[in-house]
Amino acid sequence: MAFSSPVPTAERLPVTVLTGYLGAGKTTLLNRILTHEHGLKVAVIVNEFGEVGIDNQLVVEADEEIFEMNNGCICCTVRGDLIRIIGNLMKRRDRFDHLVIETTGLADPAPVIQTFFVDEDLRDDLRLDAVVTLVDLKHVDQHWDSEEVQEQLAFADVLVLNKADLVSEAERAAIERRVRALNPMARLFTSRNADVPLSELLGVEAFELERALSLDPGFLVEEHDHAHDDAVGSLALVEERPMDLDKLGGWLADLVAERGPDLFRMKGIIQLQGEERRYVFQSVHMLLDGDFDRAWKPSDRRRTEFVIIGRDLDQEALRAGFLACVA
Amino acid sequence: MAETVLVRERLSGDLRQPITALAWSPDGELLAIASAGGELLLLDFRAGCEELLRGERDSSLDVVGFSGDGRLLMAAGQSGELLLWELGGSGVRPLAFAPMALGRGWIDAAAWQPGGALLAVAVGRTARLWDGASRAWREPPLELPGTVQALAWSADGRQLAATCHGEVALWQPGAAPPDKPPQRTPIASAGLALAFSGPGRQLACGMLDRSLLLWPEDCQGQPWQFSGFPAKVRHLAWSEVPGRLAPLFASAAAEAVILWTQMNRGSKAWSPEPLIWHERRVNALAFAPGGTLLASASSDATVALWDGRGRLLQPLEGQGEAFNTLAWRPDGQHLAAGDANGRWWLWPVAVTAETL
Repeated sequence: MAFSSPVPTAERLPVTVLTGYLGAGKTTLLNRILTHEHGLKVAVIVNEFGEVGIDNQLVVEADEEIFEMNNGCICCTVRGDLIRIIGNLMKRRDRFDHLVIETTGLADPAPVIQTFFVDEDLRDDLRLDAVVTLVDLKHVDQHWDSEEVQEQLAFADVLVLNKADLVSEAERAAIERRVRALNPMARLFTSRNADVPLSELLGVEAFELERALSLDPGFLVEEHDHAHDDAVGSLALVEERPMDLDKLGGWLADLVAERGPDLFRMKGIIQLQGEERRYVFQSVHMLLDGDFDRAWKPSDRRRTEFVIIGRDLDQEALRAGFLACVA
Repeated sequence: MAETVLVRERLSGDLRQPITALAWSPDGELLAIASAGGELLLLDFRAGCEELLRGERDSSLDVVGFSGDGRLLMAAGQSGELLLWELGGSGVRPLAFAPMALGRGWIDAAAWQPGGALLAVAVGRTARLWDGASRAWREPPLELPGTVQALAWSADGRQLAATCHGEVALWQPGAAPPDKPPQRTPIASAGLALAFSGPGRQLACGMLDRSLLLWPEDCQGQPWQFSGFPAKVRHLAWSEVPGRLAPLFASAAAEAVILWTQMNRGSKAWSPEPLIWHERRVNALAFAPGGTLLASASSDATVALWDGRGRLLQPLEGQGEAFNTLAWRPDGQHLAAGDANGRWWLWPVAVTAETL
């Protein structure tokens, strides 16, 4: 199943998914989004009304309800409540031009993400802009081993290390390294009171293929063992020799078929044999999407960069499978 | 073919926000029109006047309906409140009840019991019943394992069906106490639409997983299961005219309307006839009361009228906006529709023997 919709990107409503463990600052950030003068009319779907809500703003409550679509297949798990509520909201399309969905602190972000690619109406009416994950710098250590925290970090396109005023610079840097090892492709910001420039959070277009990768250059250079001892980890693969698209496609198809539930996200820019254009690729669990992108520019470093974030990654096997795709 | 249905003239008017729901009073003298901005307009044809029962308030109304005796009007939507008005008849000003808060969830399914006084309202994971006779809530409500996606009463008002992800529940809430426990049928996906046939007492359930379930008479036994639809099956309609076996039935999934005829009682009992015309999603589907004339409203800015054999009789055009909803007047000779720009339309439809 591909990410693409027949409806052009510009005609679809952008959606930001906001995740983060309990107390990470989601409500603070939501209130900033609702009060800030950013020129966007934002509608918000919250999991419970609380301190969110400003007069004259569209705030709707949803009851996180998971629909297993297809015999429990993890990639077909979606949020049924979102399908219903957004269906109703879209009749008021003129009322807002950006949608923000807050998940509960204990939620796995995957069903929310998949809803926007699996559901036929949402796929054509909306587009996922980015998954923004807030990290509580002060307390994340205590919850580091929780599955939810690891999933929220792994699925993020934008990571906000919040409450920087409550930790020392050394503590902050240590957490940044751990977060980076788990998710090397997210954009990373440090904040107090979730005071990130909203232009960095809304309109990110992280799921657009042409933005397939923005790897931290330092991350690739270091080439250390990124999985550490954590169950969830990442692997960055870099190859200077051109790849073969058929081999790569076959490898990826087999990989997601066998390991899909453990593969959270993959992104790649591929240099193909005999091809002047870049090939860009991304996945969420078993949903894959890949296409030709613009031509390589002289200023580009012409090589393949591929990142895998997942659980219990067998680094050696993955590296061997990847290398076998060299043309 | 266009001569068989004559649309002689039309009426139209405007609300400020997209129209979400329409309902006729049982005597056909009142038409209630709700909008995504929370407006509720009541047109009174006998008195020749209209009253805005509720103005724009930035909170959508999504369901509206008149009680079987025509004395109460209900509306609900985004605010999670049930709104009720007592109607004194044509020319008498409706009297609003105090809104009843039912929780924070968006209410988009509610239905009055045919021939009775009960109002079923989908509130989260329950179907609650408000009794128009005692003006009180009936306890206990029908509990479902998931959020109620759709509700429907049987034509005789005895059975209430409700569906959520994983289940269709059938209940007889009006039965002499103690109420029989609901009959619960597991389903593989989420039901999105429910409809009982009048004479045959069949039940149809349109599903999220692009399939359709159809239970035979009195909803007993194994349902027929149809799959391979191009999209979610979100709208269903039964004709009131008895068929040789079941009455004529129609389904809508994306832009595809299918007319179904029951040919026998076997496993391949139903013959589908695809109705090809709409270019975009069909948002509402209804047979004319007492007939087999079918109307379908679509995002392609048309309402199509079909005869009982699936022939397109006449496409009706509005102002180039998607049609969200439609409702036949009980006389079967007037069709109301509402569009995404807030305009409502009313077309007189001349029905000839040929179209029945």
